[in-house]
Amino acid sequence: MSVQNNQYKHGWWLGMADMLTQGVGHGVMKIERVHLAIADETFGILERVPVTQPWSRVARVSHHGISRLCYRSVSLAATGVGLAMGSDPKLLKR
Amino acid sequence: MPSNPMSRWQHHTSAIASGFFGDWLESRRNPLAVSLALLHSGTELDLAHPEIDNASGTLCISIHGLMELETVWQLPNTHGESYGSMLSSGIEGGVTDLVLRYNTGRPIYRNGQDLSEMLEELVSSWPVPVTRLILLGHSMGGLVIRGACHAGSTASHRWVGLLSDCVYIGAPHDGSWLAKGAHSMAGMLNERPRDYLKVIGEVIDLRSEGIRNLSRGEFLEQGGDEPPLLPDTRHYVICGLLARSRKHPVNVWFGDALVNESSAQGQEKSGWQLAGVATFPGVDHLRLAHHPDVANQLQEWLV
Repeated sequence: MSVQNNQYKHGWWLGMADMLTQGVGHGVMKIERVHLAIADETFGILERVPVTQPWSRVARVSHHGISRLCYRSVSLAATGVGLAMGSDPKLLKR
Repeated sequence: MPSNPMSRWQHHTSAIASGFFGDWLESRRNPLAVSLALLHSGTELDLAHPEIDNASGTLCISIHGLMELETVWQLPNTHGESYGSMLSSGIEGGVTDLVLRYNTGRPIYRNGQDLSEMLEELVSSWPVPVTRLILLGHSMGGLVIRGACHAGSTASHRWVGLLSDCVYIGAPHDGSWLAKGAHSMAGMLNERPRDYLKVIGEVIDLRSEGIRNLSRGEFLEQGGDEPPLLPDTRHYVICGLLARSRKHPVNVWFGDALVNESSAQGQEKSGWQLAGVATFPGVDHLRLAHHPDVANQLQEWLV
């Protein structure tokens, strides 16, 4: 019984980790969209001002590029961890 | 599955996760998804061979609501007493108190179908002949009862003929204002042109099928005509209200916090013949499942 209990507890923690990694993987992509959409509002204002217009386009492209790289790295890492755990047969044991 | 290998907080975490994402967890075969089980005194029953001391012919089965566990039925300041166990002293031959534990994020009709199958197996394998069946459903549990009744009568299950009483405790027959609000909010935000607003709508949309069913009190697989209440069974409704004064505006807006009085009474349903309706001002949604006044009312109706 105690071996069965340990397996069940182990499975529960793997299930929790699976939910969290999936949540982080998808959540980060949503945060990226919120971040870039809000940043677009600010860059849109800067682009309408003649003094800041030339630099705002460059700043927007670099800001978006760096942000995407960061968010997608986190998402990829979380998805990778989730996939690695999903391959553990204990996760599917009920 | 072992009876109780995990700590209390882990059980509650599983119940909450199952309420929010139960259908998704089940599709991933994630162990966090609560599995369907019938329990007696905290121990899971083997439906094919139920081993119970002093099994009686009257069974009372309590079905919890969204994100809850079987522990929601425990009356405060008692030694693990519940509505079912309190009925035992007043009914001849006693009552065997059983509680259902299930994944509340699954569509309600699927939980209803599974409950119906489970009851059919239970009455067949019960150590003594079952003479009376009482179902108590709190919140979503009330809709699961209706789903099970529909599935049981469609499949001509034997347990339907033994069902004497159904009690719907704070069940959102016409939907819950909170679930309706989430549905409307998600729809409104998804139509906005701004991406950051759409994301909020998408996050709200992540809710499980079980929660979606609560917005309209759905318990059927597909929309369509809702079946009437089972004719040969007595049906009772219990409602709670947040404020002690019945006419307080808070009660009109929020009912027992999650379900309005009119929805709990199924006032939008036609042809309902209820054997009893009781409202408890000052008792909120959660406390309806373990309140001494509700226990007294059930004794009055069912004994």
